[in-house]
Amino acid sequence: MKQIFDAIVVGAGPAGCACSFTMAKAGLKTLLVERGKFPGAKNMWGGVFYGPTLNQLFPSFWQEAPVERYIKRHRLSLLTKDASLSAEFTAKKFGKVPYNGFSLFRAKFDRWFAAKAEQAGAILASGLQADDLLWDGNRVAGIKAGGDELPSSAVIACDGVNSFLSEKAGLRDKLSPRDMKQGVKEVIHLPRNLIELRFNLSGEEGIAWEFIGSFTRGIPGGAFIYTNKESLSIGVVVQLSTLAENKIEANDLLEEFKQHSEVATYLAGGKLLEYSAHLIPVAGSAMMPALYTDGFLVAGDAAAFTLTTGLTLEGANFAIASGLAAAETVIRSKQIGDFSQKSLSYYPELLKKSFVLKDLKTFKKAPHFLENPRIYSLYPEIACDLAEKIFTNDGKPRRKIWKLLRKSMERKISFWQVFRDLKKIKKAL
Amino acid sequence: MDIIVCVKQIPDPEIPPSKFKLDIESKKVVPPEGIPPVMNPYDEQAVELALRLKDKYGGKITVLTLGSEATSSIAKHALAMGADEGIVITNKAFEDSDSFSKAYILSQAIKKVGDYDLVLCGRQAADWDEGLVGSIIAENLGLPLVTLAEAVDVANGKLKVKRVILDGYQVFTVPIPAVVTVSNEVGRPRLPSGWGIISASQKQIPVWSVDDIEADSSKTGASAARRKLVKLFIPERERKCEIIERETTAEASIELVDTLIKAGAI
Repeated sequence: MKQIFDAIVVGAGPAGCACSFTMAKAGLKTLLVERGKFPGAKNMWGGVFYGPTLNQLFPSFWQEAPVERYIKRHRLSLLTKDASLSAEFTAKKFGKVPYNGFSLFRAKFDRWFAAKAEQAGAILASGLQADDLLWDGNRVAGIKAGGDELPSSAVIACDGVNSFLSEKAGLRDKLSPRDMKQGVKEVIHLPRNLIELRFNLSGEEGIAWEFIGSFTRGIPGGAFIYTNKESLSIGVVVQLSTLAENKIEANDLLEEFKQHSEVATYLAGGKLLEYSAHLIPVAGSAMMPALYTDGFLVAGDAAAFTLTTGLTLEGANFAIASGLAAAETVIRSKQIGDFSQKSLSYYPELLKKSFVLKDLKTFKKAPHFLENPRIYSLYPEIACDLAEKIFTNDGKPRRKIWKLLRKSMERKISFWQVFRDLKKIKKAL
Repeated sequence: MDIIVCVKQIPDPEIPPSKFKLDIESKKVVPPEGIPPVMNPYDEQAVELALRLKDKYGGKITVLTLGSEATSSIAKHALAMGADEGIVITNKAFEDSDSFSKAYILSQAIKKVGDYDLVLCGRQAADWDEGLVGSIIAENLGLPLVTLAEAVDVANGKLKVKRVILDGYQVFTVPIPAVVTVSNEVGRPRLPSGWGIISASQKQIPVWSVDDIEADSSKTGASAARRKLVKLFIPERERKCEIIERETTAEASIELVDTLIKAGAI
């Protein structure tokens, strides 16, 4: 039974599944190791998944993959304690194939994706945890798992944000809380017709609704509501270090958010189905580990391939794209019979050509900019205050908006400071 | 020693209560969406006991399970632990079988497997806790039976079975072959090894149907069940909090007593 694999992929998430699928399809002897009882078992992700990369791999994947709703509407709201200001975007295009994004549950989606890899010929070993790397001198030569040594020509670590293997491979230090956000999420059941009525949706349409404002108490971060078929995913994502410094619990912020009058009406009558928490790597290129060494590659969250632009937080499509690039690299290495560091340097070359490293480079300054606390409390306040002044009819003569804005900003912030922040936005976003 | 272990799939006991749903109409548990079933933990301990015997005496372990093709993941778990072969027995006609029918189907399958020295079952299944199937298999096959075993050994061509009783043990000897149901005192089942999981994942699990085991269809399915489930329900529990505020404690006490009497609590 014992054998030597061409590649062992650790972690059956989007990166690992895409990588295993591609290598197995090319005829490589591929082992996909997943520590959960089944792929997706350890996953709490319920967000918006952007489809183009997967669509290249499996055209019209939404017809067979377990997706919940396609995202027809994007809404952003600024919240203060007792007001809110919203902007919404919707386009006909988002309601047509190939849909732009989907809400989905990774617990189901990952199982589907891993089954695809299995059908392509990869061996899926669920319920198996990679405990360590197997070394041959300075070369990674496999993994140790379940008390056994499993040798392979290449190991691809797709083991998520806390990537234990890339730490073992010496590619990165322990992560700092400043580089992470904590996400807490609830799934709340609501009947289908109620979801459609409340959010102005029909059929399989869905909404991705992001919030920033007072409920995070100035901590960099925000909240979201995504519609699933018969439930809502609702959560807050906040910077871990500031949370810890201020001794604030993320779930308290979520409670506060849920009780906001603007939010509560959408949740009324809902039944809590599950609660979960997760870390999200957000520092972008700043926290990226070295991506390869002899016989070893890192992909997905493990490589911190997550894009934060403030309005969106994307990881799954970056994971898939990096998994594909890792697969291509290993397939090439197999052809030339060379899995050395030099041969694997093809991997960053591919990533540089794809959107993965390009996007991360474009938004390199975003994570730092997004630490600015003014974005999360002061600016929403000023915006809501201005809107209130514009819309309030108090029987007095109206004033020009420009004057109202000056009034709203009075004693809060100088125009000079706003100008400096705007300049930073231009650089970062 | 060749051993047959009967294992059952049950809904994962670790699921959150919110995922547990009953369909009152059909009087069934709705399988939680997206969470695959697991092997009944008592059966996992039966597999463990079989493996201990195999470690000591060699032989072959065959795992039998009723269900659908998806149930093969349960059989594969046993293979990953170290069992040699897994067989899924499935047929539409088996659906809604009671314990007698299930034991009948398993008995037929055991006959088809043929050579065996010992049949092991878990003491009960952690979903309905009836603990009947093992005993009925013994009856069907005309074999000796020991229930609630903690350990099994071989001595002088017979099986020596240590049975758990309150505050102590009974030790029986029984001729081979026999049926033994396994108690949780066996201890923790072993974790599958790396190569165990990998080889199990590559193995094909044969699926036997009603014809393969020559089962008499009048003895299986809902129509063969002699008892009828008329109601399956979780009692409704309501929690309410009422704060009684009155000028004085005495007034509040009287009001409290009145309220409790009205609610039928005292």
